Amino acid sequence: MRRALPAYVLPAAAFLLLVAVATGSLFLGRVNISPAELWAGIVAPRDSLAGLVVTELRLPRAVLAILVGASLGLSGAVLQGLLRNPLAEPGLLGVSNGAALGAVVSIYFGIEHHFGLATPLLGMVGAIGAGALTFAFGRGSTLTLILAGAAVCSLMSAFLALALNFAPSPYAAYEMSVWMLGSLAERSWDHVILAAPFILAGLAILATMGRAVDALTLGEAQALSLGVNLDRTRMLALLAVGLAVGAATSVTGSVGFIGLVAPHLVRPFVGHQPSRTLLPSALLGAVLLLLADIGTRVIHTNTELRLGALTSLLGAPFFFWLVMRLRKVAP
Amino acid sequence: MTVLSARQLSVVRGGRAILDAADFDLSAGMFVALVGANGAGKSTLLACLAGLLRPDGGEVRLDGQPLSRLGGRELARRRAYLPQNPRAEWPIAVERLVALGLTPHLPAFGGLPGGFEPRLTEAIVACDLTQHRFQPATTLSGGELARAMLARALIGDPQILLADEPTAGLDPRHGLDTMGRLRRLAVEQGKLVMTSVHDMSLAARHATHLMALRDGKVAAFGETREVLSPGLLREVFDVEARISGAAGDTIIDYRGPA
Amino acid sequence: MRRVLRIAALGLAAAALGAPQAVAAPSAAAPSGAGRPQRIMSLNVCTDLLLLQLAPKARIASVTFMAPQGAAVLFPGRADGVALNHGRAEDVINARPDLILDSALGAPLTRTMARRIGARVVEVKDANSFADIRDIVRQVGAAVGEPQRAEALIGQMDATLAELSSHPPARRLRVVAWSGGSAVPGKGSLTDAIITAAGATNIAAQPGQAESTFGVEELLVARPDALLYGGATLGQPSLVTDQGQHRVVRELYAGRRIRFNDIAHTCGVPQSAQSARDLRRALDALPPSRVGR
Repeated sequence: MRRALPAYVLPAAAFLLLVAVATGSLFLGRVNISPAELWAGIVAPRDSLAGLVVTELRLPRAVLAILVGASLGLSGAVLQGLLRNPLAEPGLLGVSNGAALGAVVSIYFGIEHHFGLATPLLGMVGAIGAGALTFAFGRGSTLTLILAGAAVCSLMSAFLALALNFAPSPYAAYEMSVWMLGSLAERSWDHVILAAPFILAGLAILATMGRAVDALTLGEAQALSLGVNLDRTRMLALLAVGLAVGAATSVTGSVGFIGLVAPHLVRPFVGHQPSRTLLPSALLGAVLLLLADIGTRVIHTNTELRLGALTSLLGAPFFFWLVMRLRKVAP
Repeated sequence: MTVLSARQLSVVRGGRAILDAADFDLSAGMFVALVGANGAGKSTLLACLAGLLRPDGGEVRLDGQPLSRLGGRELARRRAYLPQNPRAEWPIAVERLVALGLTPHLPAFGGLPGGFEPRLTEAIVACDLTQHRFQPATTLSGGELARAMLARALIGDPQILLADEPTAGLDPRHGLDTMGRLRRLAVEQGKLVMTSVHDMSLAARHATHLMALRDGKVAAFGETREVLSPGLLREVFDVEARISGAAGDTIIDYRGPA
Repeated sequence: MRRVLRIAALGLAAAALGAPQAVAAPSAAAPSGAGRPQRIMSLNVCTDLLLLQLAPKARIASVTFMAPQGAAVLFPGRADGVALNHGRAEDVINARPDLILDSALGAPLTRTMARRIGARVVEVKDANSFADIRDIVRQVGAAVGEPQRAEALIGQMDATLAELSSHPPARRLRVVAWSGGSAVPGKGSLTDAIITAAGATNIAAQPGQAESTFGVEELLVARPDALLYGGATLGQPSLVTDQGQHRVVRELYAGRRIRFNDIAHTCGVPQSAQSARDLRRALDALPPSRVGR
């Protein structure tokens, strides 16, 4: 019987890893940049091509990857703690699809032209709406919640299919499909400024849910008896996940599985205690997304390898593995 | 002295009265065994008394104050509740599970403040869990988990403990063990303890008071030695029984259906 | 013979003014023949645009619903009053055409339908160069029974191209038809031919440009003199609009972005030469480029 690691070890390690990967990502891309050029570029960005590439392309891309990855990781951790189920994540509960629907409607039906904030706002509306439907229909056991999530996912996909169907032009339909594959390419500080306030607000709310998810380890009845307001907790979680994932999806398209994988990798190192998975999941989510983004830059393909395609390719087998493991453990 | 009162408590589900005008006072020092057939309303009554279920009629008062007026955290500090078949959803260490009982006392963030460490150790020792301290809670046996959940309930030093069938599924040794602890909590530490039990012998031997429910109504409530009778058993369980011995040596012998 | 020349001259004048075709009924000039198709149907937007320019409305059964948009840009009014189809089997059966024009992609299915109703199918390839445009204009002209008209249009196109090549620009500017990271038209595309005809260099067509993805980083390294981008015809919202462009690109290429008519780059039509001329005019009008880094 050994004690778990001291509480600060894992977050510190994850943070250092994040800094290393983020810094590494600044060096990667079509243009080769040496460390000296990188430094010169940061100090005096306008003076050189390298500086421009670093400060206007790679740095906002890295920052966005961190924000989006942290959103997905932390949302996954909170949802898994809330639902006491290691399969819970924003994608499976229909939240990501709802966000994608909101963003697609905003972009392709011209709303974005009139009102720049329309896309993240509609993304969040879609995310919260889909999540609310899932929570409403999924009351009861976690099984019904997962099933409700699958149903809401299908509903959102149906609307997305309709949107594709009635796309303003064939080219728009193609673009929509490609956008939905998710990408961090060509993102600028504009995107960061647009999404960051909502993502940070969502993250801040999620960070306060540590006590509630810990108490839920004992089940809902005991958590209630410990003074946790379950209804308020669920609504706050829904709001926060909707804010963070909604805004994130609206600038990057659909990126899945980070919210599933990150908490799962973290859990064994924190003694499976839900509150201790929160911060490391956020950090690890950021690391995983950065690594996936680096992957899309480093793997040479003729057409751009899309971020969502890569995370799905890696995440789906993980999902299979998780299901197989749970089959052995569950009664 | 702590007093938990029910006033005309009613709960209706689908037209049927699960609880019907239950009215009684419980006070510190009592270990009340709640008995009744399946479906008599025991779990519902405990949930109402714990403030987790809002009654359709009547109210529950703690020291004169209606439960609905007490905040969640305030109530959590004063009373602890254990549902039927409690389980841990994640394989956290036993000491972490026990520490969860301190939730209403803790600030919103952070781990367990240093000042609580002695209390944690004390609670673990008091429930004989020292050798299981770092073991994942999901690997505990029935008896060990029951003790861990009890430790979780008691670590916050509540005045009231409400437990729904804490001895269900326990072997005789652990069943006795648990009932003994609960009695000591009431008699020696002056807490108010109420639990539902199926095993009448255990109830008869350890509980200071008996409350019998039949079809949602309180059929009897009082000190065990006064209330326990073959007539009560016939009324509550539809069985003919013979009672011999007294207090800690009571034996209940079921003869057949009434 | 003189009458043909006169009509050709009128045609040239009309094209130069960009006015709707005021040419006298082409059928009067061409040698009449009993074999000319009377009900011509087009199932592809590119063949639509060729058909509308070559045959009189009276002999056009229908064109696709996308034709009016393209026609509005290239020759306004020419598609007015012409029936529209959605490329469906019912449309074909209802129109009872005797000649169907389609692209290479749609042709196999069309051929099956055409056989049933006794229509001829002419498969028109995608044009990727001005030589291809000449081929397909002649092909459609022959199929609809207006070969003279086809030659007239080709003559106009060649005149424009000759004018451009005889007055080369002072400096051969470097451009790319770039719209934010997706595939860019490289060597062997019509856009490439148009850029070359305009006297510029398409940097995406350079040897060694193996990658067909061309992102912002590549753009910053290559530093073309100007960016070309389409989207002007359809006016539909899409990601590939000004708002969608990266902020660095917007800043560096402010005033150095040239729009072109999508339709004249997607479909090989005689007006593609005018697109080259418009491009030359825009390039000439560019402010002097900053010294590259």
